[in-house]
Amino acid sequence: MIITETPEGCITIVALNGTLDASTAPELQKSPAINNASQTVVIDMEHVDFLDSSGLGSLIGTLRKKRNMSAETLLSCMNERISQVFEITNAHRLFHIFDDTSAAVDYATQLNSRK
Amino acid sequence: MKTLLAIREREYEWVNQTFPSIHPLLLPICNKPFTEFLIDFAILAGSTEVRLLSDGPLAEVKEYCENGSRWGVQLSYATLQADDSLKDLLDKNRRFCGEDRIMIISGFCFINYDKQRGYASIMSQMPAGTCVSCPGGSIILAGNQETLSRNPPEIPLSLLPLDEIGSYFRISMETLENGSARYVLPGYGNEPECAIGRNVIISKTAEIIKPVSIGNNVQILSGAIIGPACIIGSNVIIDKESSVKKGVILDNTYIGEHLEVKGRIASGNMLIDPRSSASIAMEDPHLLSGIKAAGKSGTAGRKTVHAIAAAILITMQLIPFLLLFPLLKLQGRWCSGTTTCHADSSGKTFTLPTAEITGNSPAGSLAAAISLDRLPLLLRVIIGQLTIIGSSPIPASGETGDKPSAKSGYRPAVFSYAEAEDWPVNSSDAAIVERYYTIHSTPLNDIGLTMKALLNKLYEHNAA
Repeated sequence: MIITETPEGCITIVALNGTLDASTAPELQKSPAINNASQTVVIDMEHVDFLDSSGLGSLIGTLRKKRNMSAETLLSCMNERISQVFEITNAHRLFHIFDDTSAAVDYATQLNSRK
Repeated sequence: MKTLLAIREREYEWVNQTFPSIHPLLLPICNKPFTEFLIDFAILAGSTEVRLLSDGPLAEVKEYCENGSRWGVQLSYATLQADDSLKDLLDKNRRFCGEDRIMIISGFCFINYDKQRGYASIMSQMPAGTCVSCPGGSIILAGNQETLSRNPPEIPLSLLPLDEIGSYFRISMETLENGSARYVLPGYGNEPECAIGRNVIISKTAEIIKPVSIGNNVQILSGAIIGPACIIGSNVIIDKESSVKKGVILDNTYIGEHLEVKGRIASGNMLIDPRSSASIAMEDPHLLSGIKAAGKSGTAGRKTVHAIAAAILITMQLIPFLLLFPLLKLQGRWCSGTTTCHADSSGKTFTLPTAEITGNSPAGSLAAAISLDRLPLLLRVIIGQLTIIGSSPIPASGETGDKPSAKSGYRPAVFSYAEAEDWPVNSSDAAIVERYYTIHSTPLNDIGLTMKALLNKLYEHNAA
């Protein structure tokens, strides 16, 4: 999986490309913006073509870790297949999900400014 | 213009409880699913794209509505969070909204519109803001008006909250009595106020009194009197000499001989009084209400594979069990008991044996590491009461005694799918994993996941 981090003000956009499963989830956990618990991130899922329960677990772990430090994990641009996984597992209730990365960044910036 | 339909699960929770076999967004009103009325109105208002937002499950709605091509609109789906504000909804769907004017229909409400009116032109002249509202719902316009007008016109529509079964019954009856001119309703008929679907068999001696709406695959047997003011869904049998007056008979229902249904709603084998919400179970010899439920339960193939795997596990655990059980029992470290759990989502319960290994002794740790405490449950897999891996059995009493949701795919099991994963830290995480595998796992995958759960338990106890 290719992970690209792009700083956008106080937010970091983490763009994922490939498969997020048991073999690639540790890679995501090691990426600097994800690993930094106090960094709010927008995870761009546009090019994620497969997500399994371990991948879902790594996203939920990230969300929990960051919320403990008053940071946030936002998701953007999910394709139909990935959003179906979130829907059937009810994981969509945990995340703020956007169809546009820039809207997610704006939302995260507002959240940060309220802190 | 584009339309966002935002409906939160808490707004239609009562439908799940009253009609568990019907998806609330597909609740039929005069034999037309609720969502279709919203889509029809969005089209009348000039929308070319519609997006349905909900925090509840949408799979059944997607299967029914697909991409909206049947109505000539682009229909898409997205999720929302229960406490999202209007601004949040617009932000979360920014790519969909673009620079267009947006109509946001929010809440589980019925739109009382008239298909003869030119809503597209009226909406284009309306300024941004709330157009219509009712308790629990509203129609809001966002973005600049498309046609400038000094005096925005009155909007000839109203919103009616669908907040309980009484309002559902009232709206259904009003739609039947006055709706054929106002809405596009399903069914065929030479006369107004009488719409009949496909494959409807009406006995020569049966009497039909207008207004009525009858769905598809319906049999009305001799001497039956249908109407006035009667809505009959699809796959319904009205048996001999029965009468239905001012009633709603939903899909997959059998009304037995010599019954009089007046001012009631019948759904499956339940007869409900819309005023008090009281219900009674009816006889259903044709099992019309059971056909769907039977299809959802575990397949014979899965049960066979699980039973074979359980038999192998029992064989493997038998010798350690015979050696360790007497020792632990003598030490008082093996505590056995029973617990009552939900057998499925219908509310049926069963009693399961429980075993707990207490204290911290080498024999106890070994027994726990090789999952000997699950041996009594494995026997229940052989007789088909449990699956080898699936959902954690939900106790039928106490704090967690809530009945599992019909849509959760609850399958009580010896090992839970969550035990096969490393990451779940609380019950909400475990529920996510269980839901994931309930949909994605095959019987053979289940064997692999059972092995993984066994190994996880082994490592967990070794690490401890």
